[in-house]
Amino acid sequence: MDDNDAPPFPTATPLIRRRRFGALVGGALAGAMTSALPESSAAQPANLAGTKLVFASWGGVYQNTQKAAFCDPFAARTKATIVQDGPVDYAKYRVMIKSGAPAWDALDVEAAFLLSGGPDNLFEKLDTKIVDVSRLEPKYVNEYGAGVIVWAYTLGYSLTAYNEANHPRSWADLFDVKKFPGRRMMRDRVVPSLEIALLADGVPMENLYPLDVERAFRKLDTVKQDAVWWTTNSQCQQLLADGEVTMGVINNGRLWDIMKKGSKVGIEWNQSLKAVDYLVVAKGSKNVAAAMALINESTLPESQAVIANAMATAPTNPAAFALIDEAAKPWMATNPAYDKFSMLINEAYWRDNFKELSDRWAKWKLS
Amino acid sequence: MLAKPGFRLDRRVFLVLPALAVSLGLFIYPVGALLLRSLFEPVPGIQNYRAVVTQPVYAATLWNTVVISASVTAICIVIGYPFAYAIASAGPRARRWLIFAVLVPFWSSVLVRSFAWLVLLQRNGLVNQTLIALGLTDRPLLLTHNRTGVLIGMSHVLLPFMVLPLYAVMARIDSSYMKAAASLGAPPVRSFIRIYLPLTRAGLLNGATLVFVLGLGYFVVPALLGGAGETMIAQLIQSQVSDFGNWGLAGALSVVLLAAVAAAFALLRFVVPSAARAR
Repeated sequence: MDDNDAPPFPTATPLIRRRRFGALVGGALAGAMTSALPESSAAQPANLAGTKLVFASWGGVYQNTQKAAFCDPFAARTKATIVQDGPVDYAKYRVMIKSGAPAWDALDVEAAFLLSGGPDNLFEKLDTKIVDVSRLEPKYVNEYGAGVIVWAYTLGYSLTAYNEANHPRSWADLFDVKKFPGRRMMRDRVVPSLEIALLADGVPMENLYPLDVERAFRKLDTVKQDAVWWTTNSQCQQLLADGEVTMGVINNGRLWDIMKKGSKVGIEWNQSLKAVDYLVVAKGSKNVAAAMALINESTLPESQAVIANAMATAPTNPAAFALIDEAAKPWMATNPAYDKFSMLINEAYWRDNFKELSDRWAKWKLS
Repeated sequence: MLAKPGFRLDRRVFLVLPALAVSLGLFIYPVGALLLRSLFEPVPGIQNYRAVVTQPVYAATLWNTVVISASVTAICIVIGYPFAYAIASAGPRARRWLIFAVLVPFWSSVLVRSFAWLVLLQRNGLVNQTLIALGLTDRPLLLTHNRTGVLIGMSHVLLPFMVLPLYAVMARIDSSYMKAAASLGAPPVRSFIRIYLPLTRAGLLNGATLVFVLGLGYFVVPALLGGAGETMIAQLIQSQVSDFGNWGLAGALSVVLLAAVAAAFALLRFVVPSAARAR
């Protein structure tokens, strides 16, 4: 199954043979390249003409940016055809994998799904002979996926309702309906709502996990009537931009996006909760090696800089920072200035508890 | 050559075949598959149905769904009845315009209309701005992400299903009945209750059934205009599938929805015979 078992193919494999043995070629290529160039651990596939890769992501501005950042350059260089699909739907994906013929080759997933999907045999193991993970910060590399962006849930607020001197500064303020009356928005999902509720209730960051679930739901009860619950990223942008709410939970990149489009909004980084998106290869993909090569493309600093400049997402490859606009840097979740008062969502906790607590969340919402 | 009558009937069967094929392939098969899954996933048994019955949140959502749908039906009657009457009694030119006014929203996408309501009803939206400018309220009313928003949005979308059956019935009512009642000394309210209302009963029931049954399965409007308290059963089904991958429970909830629809239709059949005669 591993590349080690693959018969060694010469680099100049004729097209027809390459097609037939497409899955093996990349691995063999990687082997050949590694021995030729011991300095670089990653192989650049020469020619993938005739290979069709399906890449699935989250749609909208994010996927368009990913297309421009690494899909298009990869397609141009290797002559592979890359088809965009999405949005990613975990239930649908599980069904695909079960059927043994995934329609997607590579996809963008959140960390919690990455961590639960690895043991569930949903992804191919990352082939580090093709994907040069040494470029990435080690904490963003997983056995099954390579981190592609780092982002954060932050407290966004309207500068029409508040000003730079007087605005909500913590999750406690988000829950304080006396000091800050009116409607606020929160994500209609158990992550990160439980974390936010506990931080608002005074639990220190370092003691957050394992979550005190009962306490979190008790705290959430206090804001239930005053909160608007958003489900999509576009929705939270609209709620804040149109003044439907004056503050709330929003992804930093989405807040940056509406600010660039003219909304008067501010961002509070205090207690921001960071998360990572990963690129993975679908288990049973017919183009594993080519899909790995596409992921490798996403680790390049120039690829990551394109996404960062468009969406203020932080790169997982530190070399990308040199290529990022100064204007975007204060909006990035990994800015060292925020390290002291921000934290990473504990995805291992959610791997073990997401399903059960999501069910509880749905019931709490309905009660 | 003369065809035998039997031949004709045979050939007409072919006319329904395309519809039958579409219905079998795109409705009966997937719905049947979902029903099977509700009995076999994750393990064979009735545990999914037991969950729907025993867990209060599911019953609460179902009740929510019925209450919202019934409220929308009531609103549609209150708005639709006089409107249908206005269409039926208008001159041909005005009638065309009034029908057009009902149909234009009918032709546009529910999604687009729900977003339009979101824009109109939100805190700084046109409705609130107008109310404040007129001095009717000093602070913006909360019209979205709550029951009010859902009722406004759903009533707007479903109103044509009330107006059109009512109009169809009203257009056929002979105006001499009302004149006769008046000439016999009945005051307008009495002749309306004794004569006009019974004559429109079939339209009213058809409209109410359509609005109520369609309302039960609503998804987009409560998802966009409602808050946590307006979750309807279709949203619950969707979240069971896409958030939890729980096809079994989603199937069981779908069966419950289907049963509710069937019950509403059965109720109509039970009530309608006298009304059908009135037609």
